[in-house]
Amino acid sequence: MPSKVVTANTTAQEVAAERSDAVAIPTSLVVDNDQGAADRIISIQDVFTPSVTNGVSSPSETTVDRFRATAPQGFVTTLTEDDLKGVKCLGALKVIASAVDASCYITAGYRHE
Amino acid sequence: MLELAVRPQFSVVVPPKLLQEGYLVYFSGGWPSTHEAHREKLFRVDVVNQVPYDRFYIIPTGDYRDVDFSNGSGTFQESIYPENNDSLFEVLLGFKPGNFVSHWYIPSSKSVHQLEYAQMYPDVTDADKRYLGARLAGDSPYDDPQVKLYFVKDLAPVIMRLYVLAGVDYEKVVVGLLVNKCKLRQIEAPTQDQMLKAKVIRYYDELRW
Repeated sequence: MPSKVVTANTTAQEVAAERSDAVAIPTSLVVDNDQGAADRIISIQDVFTPSVTNGVSSPSETTVDRFRATAPQGFVTTLTEDDLKGVKCLGALKVIASAVDASCYITAGYRHE
Repeated sequence: MLELAVRPQFSVVVPPKLLQEGYLVYFSGGWPSTHEAHREKLFRVDVVNQVPYDRFYIIPTGDYRDVDFSNGSGTFQESIYPENNDSLFEVLLGFKPGNFVSHWYIPSSKSVHQLEYAQMYPDVTDADKRYLGARLAGDSPYDDPQVKLYFVKDLAPVIMRLYVLAGVDYEKVVVGLLVNKCKLRQIEAPTQDQMLKAKVIRYYDELRW
């Protein structure tokens, strides 16, 4: 299963691009905040543009927070597939943090389903 | 103890899911005169070519999208219909799991799955009637599709209404299509045996009585 490392940023960092024939399921989230400057709140965001429907003729890009956890400073926080059970991204899977921190590394694993 | 496997007295042959080369198809007399090219005629399938095509729709809860399989450039049109009279498109359709129902209409204003009492008509705005005649994702799984459609040139639009049920904010409805393109050749003077072997393709009005 693929994974990607990003650093903590207040701008959402893309882990998995949107795929038209599948949803993205996060399978692991490891936040290495051992050398980070402070506790960080990490969120998984789902970014997509809904389809035109009978109710909405001009849909716009939508962001939905799908998961949120605090990673304490000085620790490596590991979340497994069980911890992330039920989290599903319809569009792009992105990770966003409560502050910019180049020493806080986030490794997100995912699969398409 | 000794147990002998019982020799089967007959075997079951599962026919192919799709039309194959050499198969016969017959368009019933229920087809209107606007489909004179097919009506009450027998054809042999000369060539087949399968074309997979996945479509997806992200729909908010409580909303719906009418997926129109006919040809054109409209927002909801998918242009899956043939453009030639000697083509028959046999389409298998399956869904990936999701929190939605599908309703079927042909033409666009008439449900395929209404009952006989006047009020028993599928209606996605009604909490009960939205389940009347509804097909769920499990009824036609993506990997083992059970919904089969037959499209000929200039057929009235077949509409699949996808409605997202409560319980999610949005749902991504992934629809897997497999278009089995069949090139037809008319058999001018069919034998009785050929007529008996042919797959009968009925006009949609014959589904409602």
